[in-house]
Amino acid sequence: MLVNDPEAAHWPVDPSRLDLAEEFRRKPRGPHSDDLQKLLHRMRWSGVGRRYVLVTLEPNRRWMLGRLPGKRGVPVETFPNRVFTSLADAEWAVFAMRWEALTGQKIENAGNEP
Amino acid sequence: MTDTTAVLGYAWPLVVSPGEEVAFHLSSATLEGAEATLIRVRCADPDPDGPGLRFHQPGTAIDGPVALRNQPLRPGSCAIIPDAPALNRPGSLSLGLFLYPTAPLAGAQTILARWRDDTAEGWRLALNTEAQLEFTIGAGGRLWRATAPRAVIEREWIFVAASLDTGAGRIALTQSSLDPQAGRDTGCTTTAEGPGAITWATETALTIAAHALEPGAAPRTAGHFDGKIDRPRILSAALDAAAIRALAENPSPAPAEPDLVAAWDFSRDMSTDIIRDLSANRLDGTLRQMPMRAATGANWDGRTVQWTEAPELYGAIHFHSDDMHDAGWSPDLRFTIPAEWRSGFYALRLCARQDSDDPVESFVAFFVRAPLGKPRSELAFVASTATFLAYANSALRMDQVHAEAMLEGLLALSRDDVYLQEHRELGLSTYDTHSDGSGWCYSTARRPIINMRPRGATFNYGNDTHIIDWLEQIGQDHDIIVDDDIHRHGAQALAPYRCVITGSHPEYFSRSMIEAFDSYQRNGGRHIYLGGNGFYWRIGWHPTQPHAMEIRRGMNGLRTWEGEAGENALSFTGEPSGLWRSNGRPPQRLVGVGFDAQVFTRSYPYEWREPARDPRVAWAVEGIDLDAPLGDFGLRGGGAAGLEVDRVEPTLGSPPHLLWLATADRLGYGGVPTLEELRTLHRGAMGDQNARVRADIAFFPTARGGAVFSTGSIAWACALSHNNYDNSVSRLTGNVLRRFLDPSPFEGFDTQERSLEGICPEA
Repeated sequence: MLVNDPEAAHWPVDPSRLDLAEEFRRKPRGPHSDDLQKLLHRMRWSGVGRRYVLVTLEPNRRWMLGRLPGKRGVPVETFPNRVFTSLADAEWAVFAMRWEALTGQKIENAGNEP
Repeated sequence: MTDTTAVLGYAWPLVVSPGEEVAFHLSSATLEGAEATLIRVRCADPDPDGPGLRFHQPGTAIDGPVALRNQPLRPGSCAIIPDAPALNRPGSLSLGLFLYPTAPLAGAQTILARWRDDTAEGWRLALNTEAQLEFTIGAGGRLWRATAPRAVIEREWIFVAASLDTGAGRIALTQSSLDPQAGRDTGCTTTAEGPGAITWATETALTIAAHALEPGAAPRTAGHFDGKIDRPRILSAALDAAAIRALAENPSPAPAEPDLVAAWDFSRDMSTDIIRDLSANRLDGTLRQMPMRAATGANWDGRTVQWTEAPELYGAIHFHSDDMHDAGWSPDLRFTIPAEWRSGFYALRLCARQDSDDPVESFVAFFVRAPLGKPRSELAFVASTATFLAYANSALRMDQVHAEAMLEGLLALSRDDVYLQEHRELGLSTYDTHSDGSGWCYSTARRPIINMRPRGATFNYGNDTHIIDWLEQIGQDHDIIVDDDIHRHGAQALAPYRCVITGSHPEYFSRSMIEAFDSYQRNGGRHIYLGGNGFYWRIGWHPTQPHAMEIRRGMNGLRTWEGEAGENALSFTGEPSGLWRSNGRPPQRLVGVGFDAQVFTRSYPYEWREPARDPRVAWAVEGIDLDAPLGDFGLRGGGAAGLEVDRVEPTLGSPPHLLWLATADRLGYGGVPTLEELRTLHRGAMGDQNARVRADIAFFPTARGGAVFSTGSIAWACALSHNNYDNSVSRLTGNVLRRFLDPSPFEGFDTQERSLEGICPEA
């Protein structure tokens, strides 16, 4: 049985590479530099813990932050106070949370915690 | 936020002809009633940047209030053998079977039982919550139990024997590992006190892979088992484990063996829901919720990977505690489609709480077909029901590690997805894995399918309705025909039409379907393929049950689970499954292009190539600037070439007369080639470095005035409506359609010329 290992993405994240965070903030959909591609793969492969997702409130207009429970049959956790009207804002907010989870360091101006 | 799941349902049959009745099977856990409206779907995609939801409301007698009730779903497969005199022989008893548990720590699971849970009477072989085998006897309010001291190992075959010796007042339980080395040996025997005499409770069904909650021939069940069971045997005598094993090792034990109560051979009647007993008692049973058949048995040794060649090696069934193939709901509304109705994508819309801030709007989809041999148009659009079923209730994005990396961005879940995360009893898609990790190989329509209807899903069904919307917009009359019928009736389903359009992602084809298209194209038919990754997987349809399909994904192709060794032939038909490319019919041979890559970072425009200036295809490009990009717009990633893309490939069968009109090349690092495109391992395979990662537009004439036009991209359909339908994608599609509906043949292709300019097959 072939399975995907959530721990497989192991590119080492350098907390001093705030340039990568800034590159992502400016251009969340890319194209991205090689190092930012690697950082994003690291973040997106594992989800860094329970995976943050968006729940669509209005198609292509409004999204609420959510988090997958990591287990079938368990409800999606939702954060009604964190609603986005652009996907770029949502990508940046989740990036900032994952950056902190990976590096232990906050990115300033990243918005509020859920 | 619109609540799309407070009421759910399914239509049966999924496809109806005018004049036939469709029944709506509905359920709501919270609503007493809803307002029903029958609609024809023009556009199912709610994206406000596109056409938005667009419906036609014909007005019917069932439009109006409908009372709702809660109808539960009971997932989990098993076999039921109704009570029979042979099961009631008093006294001693033995059981034997081969067992391959796939989720032994997922909770208590019953393997083989004649047990009523309401009175705790009978006998039951089960796994307990510690993954230990237990053999339990219950009678007169008393329980006797033997528990194996060692837990079983996940995905390791064992032989299990259990017996009750009433003469000795003992029960015994033995497990033997089939590979008892390197730490895999869990062999052990245990005995315990048993009853000295026993009379079994009657009216108790015998069950395999679950136990009955109640008496009767069709009881509700619980304790569903995950894993394979092979060659179960029951005897009316207390035999030792070696003697029981000898009976189980023999795939065909002598029916006249006097103590033999039952000996099932799961390799018989493989495509059906019947299991056959080889004993003289003929205790045949029925399968519930379609467990996976054609599974390798404990004796499978790799001498063949095709169950039809050695069925005796395929005497196992893989049961799943989450199998769901027939909701079994009662109908709440019935409607006879008026004879004069147009064919189309239809749905029952159910609304409630319209004045609240959480209004309910839920849809139950069905299709009205153009009746066979009675076309009402020269053009048919194919509802890709095989593909819709393959994707039915996909939870892939919630369950699979790769989804966010593959899609290159945060997962945006619809309310339907959020519901599905919590309600796995709906049954998942063939993209998903069961709760034990094994692949889901069947999909059926006797259950609510929440991503084959307006609103929620922006793939397949929703994308395909952009083509219907476009046809309506340009005033193009068309019939709807469906995959089910193309399979059943073959080329006859296509033959009446001058032109047939396949949609954004017609991915799943049976042999009969592929041959129907091949025959249609060779016999003057015109085929417009407006999609990407089409004609890709080889499937089977159930020989008797409607709207039930099967896929075995095997070990090649873009597969979200990998088939197990030896289990990649279809149980429904005995045919091989997997990619059509691996079955001698690459998509390039049928439609000129074939799947080569995914690109989710963004979508791209095509560039025109020199053959687009060929006077033989002047009709296609009329009014289009061949120096401008084609399709630098669209609702999916801002381009017409994206998501999944196909390319021309002569080595896989793109024909010599093909004109390669346009290409979207240089798809960037987000262009990821499909697995079967890589022969060896090397870097440089992504679209930023690999010219074989691209979307191609192709035209070629076929025999007797037929022709094929392919766009090679899923995103194409969602670019048609750009700029109020006034755009190059729409114009090209319209030019081609107009020409394809014109019966005059395509001139100038009958020479020996080869037109694959610029294509160099790999040396």
